[in-house]
Amino acid sequence: MLKKTIRFLYSMKFAILLLILLAAACVLGSVIPQKQSFMWYLSEYGTRGGALVVGLGLDDVFHAVWFLVLTVLLCCDLLACNLLHLPGLLAQTRALGRAPKAGEKTVGAVSGVEKPEAVFEKLHMPKPKRAEADGKTVLYAAKNRAGVWGAWVTHLGALLLIIGFTMGQATLTEYTVMGVPGKTCPVGDTGLTLTVEDFDVAYTESGTPQQFTARVTMHGPEGDRSGTASVNHPASLYGFKIYQNSVGTAAKATVRSEGGTVAEDVLCPGDVLQIPDTPLTITFEAYRNKGFGGSGTVPGYTFVLENGNSGERYYGEQAEGENAEFDYGVSAAGGEGRSVRSYEVRFSEPRTATLLRLKQERFTWLALLGGLLTMLGLILSFYLQPRRVWAVQDGEGWTVSGECRKGGALFYDRLREAAQTGEKEETTDAGC
Amino acid sequence: MLAAENVLFTVAMCLYFAAMIFYFLFTALKKEKLSRIAIGVQALAFLLHTAALVCRGIGAGRLPLTNQYEFAASFAWGLCLVSLIFILKFRFPVLGAFLTPLIFLVIGYAAMQSREIKDLMPSLRSNWLGFHVSTAIIAYGSFGVSAVVSAIFLFRSRMKDEGFWGQHVPNREKLDLISYRSVCLGLLFLTFTILTGAIWAERAWGSYWSWDPKETWSLITWIIYAVYLHLRFNRGWRGRSAAIFAVIGFACVLFTYVGVNTLLPGVHSYK
Repeated sequence: MLKKTIRFLYSMKFAILLLILLAAACVLGSVIPQKQSFMWYLSEYGTRGGALVVGLGLDDVFHAVWFLVLTVLLCCDLLACNLLHLPGLLAQTRALGRAPKAGEKTVGAVSGVEKPEAVFEKLHMPKPKRAEADGKTVLYAAKNRAGVWGAWVTHLGALLLIIGFTMGQATLTEYTVMGVPGKTCPVGDTGLTLTVEDFDVAYTESGTPQQFTARVTMHGPEGDRSGTASVNHPASLYGFKIYQNSVGTAAKATVRSEGGTVAEDVLCPGDVLQIPDTPLTITFEAYRNKGFGGSGTVPGYTFVLENGNSGERYYGEQAEGENAEFDYGVSAAGGEGRSVRSYEVRFSEPRTATLLRLKQERFTWLALLGGLLTMLGLILSFYLQPRRVWAVQDGEGWTVSGECRKGGALFYDRLREAAQTGEKEETTDAGC
Repeated sequence: MLAAENVLFTVAMCLYFAAMIFYFLFTALKKEKLSRIAIGVQALAFLLHTAALVCRGIGAGRLPLTNQYEFAASFAWGLCLVSLIFILKFRFPVLGAFLTPLIFLVIGYAAMQSREIKDLMPSLRSNWLGFHVSTAIIAYGSFGVSAVVSAIFLFRSRMKDEGFWGQHVPNREKLDLISYRSVCLGLLFLTFTILTGAIWAERAWGSYWSWDPKETWSLITWIIYAVYLHLRFNRGWRGRSAAIFAVIGFACVLFTYVGVNTLLPGVHSYK
C-alpha cells in the first residue's frame, strides 16, 4: 500500500493532477481580487461567500499554505522523476551509439536498397559505422543523441526556476524611498542613507513623459557611491538594485507661529514634520491638482496633524495659496496655567518627486538559470529528436531501417524518400 | 506612411476574405486548382499585411506591437505565417479552409480597434519589447494552428479514408503529429515570451514575476500545454484527449489575449 502510494506520488498521472490543480489555483487567483480587506470580500461575495474566500485563503492564493504545498509536491515530483529516469537515459544514450540488435524496434524498413551510404547521406548521417552481426554486414549511425535529455533538462530547469523564485521571495529585502533633489532619506533599518542628487523627466514633443532619470548617492560604511536609475535601467549600489519605480508630488511645508517660521521642510507623501517644542507632527498625505476651493477646481494638499501625547488626529486640507490654521494649548513654565499658541501651516511649491524601489534579491540568478535550462530542454526535446538508422546487407541489396522516438510516421516518410533511389521493394510499415 | 498602411491593411483584409472563399470553394467543389489559387491569394495577403506592418512601424517610429490594434494585426500576421508554413510543409491545403476564417476574425477585430498612434510610456521603451511581443505572436499563431488541426483530428473519424477527404486530410496519426509539432513550436515561443517578459519586468519594475493577470494566464496556458505534452507521452491518452487539451489551450490563449486585457486589468492592459 505504502509502495503504491509512493509510486503514485512520483507518477506522471500525479504530475498531471498537480499541474491541473495549480492551473485551477491560478485561475482563482486571477479572477478573485487578491489581498483585499475581509470587509471587502464580505460586501462583494456576501457573508458566506466572503468568509469562504478568506477561510480557504483565496484572498491571497499565491501565498496560501495549500498553494505552497502543491508547489512543494510538484518540486518533489520533478526531482523524483529526474532521479528515477537518470539511469534509463544514460542507458538510452549509450544504446543509440551501439550497433542494432536483431528484432530491434523500428518505424519501418525499406529493402532492396543498393547504395545505403547515399541513404545515410540524405538523412544527414554521412559517416555510418560498420559492424558484423550473424555473418551480415551492418551499417549504422545515430543523430541528435542529446535530444534524449530534452525532458530531463526541462524538468531540471522548471525545478530550479521554482526553487529560485520561492527562495528569492523568502529572502527578499525591499524598501521604497521617495525624494526630491537634495533630500537624503534612510534606507529602512540598514544604516544606509540615500540622497537624490538630481531628478529629471524627459518629455516627448506631445508632452507625455518619455523617461524618468534619478541620479542618486548611497552613503554607507564604505563611503559614498553614486549611480543613475532610469526606467528599464536600474542602478546597483551597496548590493541593492535601485529601480526608478514611479513619481509623486512633494511640497514645501512651512509652519509659522506668532510671525516667525518654526519649522520648514520639503515633504514627500508620507513624510513627517515635527513642530519644535511640541508633541505635534504634520504628515503630508498628497497633492491633488483639483478638488479644493469653493469651485472645487483649485489644487491643494491634504495632511494629518497628530498630537503625540494625546493621540488626537486632525485631517486637514489646504487649497493652494491659502493657510491652514490651528491652535495648540501649552502649559506655561512652572505649570502655572495654560496658554494657547496659534500655528499656520502652509504647503506650497509642489514639485515632482521620484519614487525609488531598492531591492536585494539573492536568487534571481537561480530562477534565470532555471528559465534558460527550461528553454534549452524544450529545444532539445522538440528539435533534436534522437534517431538511428541502420542498413543490413541482405543478399544483393540492403534493408534500411530506422528508429525515432518521436514523430515516427514523419521520419518513416523521410526514410522512404531517402531510400527511393535504390529501392526495389517495401516490406514493413510498423508505427512508432 | 500611415495612409499607405491603411490601404495595405484594408487590401490584405479583403484578400484574406478572398482566400477564405477560395478555400471553401476548394473543399466544396473539390478542384485542385482552387487550392493553389487559395494558397496564392493567402500568400499575397500575407505579403501586403507584412508591408502594412512595416509602414506602421516606420510611421510610428517604433515596433508596431504596443496596443490592441497593433497586437491584433500582428497576431493575425503570426497566424497566417504559421498556417502557411504548415500548409506548405505538410501539403495540407484543407487546413487553410479552417484557418483563414480565424485569421479573418482576428484581423477584423484589429480593424475595429483604434489606430491612433500614441507615445509610449517609459517602461515600454525597451529593446525587450520586440523580443517579448514578437515571440508571443509566433506562439499564439502556432497554438491557433494546433487547435484547428486538433479540431480536424476530432472530426477525422467521420471522414472517409477514400476520395477527396482521404486524399487531402492526413490520417489521425499524422494530424496528431502535426498538432504536436505546432504545439512544440508554440510552447517553445511561449516559454521564450514568458522568459523575456520576466527579464524585462525585472528591469522595468524590479520584479520579474508579480502574478499580474497576464502573467498568470500565460502560466496557465503554459501549464495546459505542458499537460498536453505529458498526455501525449502517456500512450493511453494520446490522440483524442491530447486534441481536446490543444483546443482548451487555445481557448486559454484567446482569453489571455483578449479576456485578460478587457476583464482583468493589470500592467499589461495597454489599450
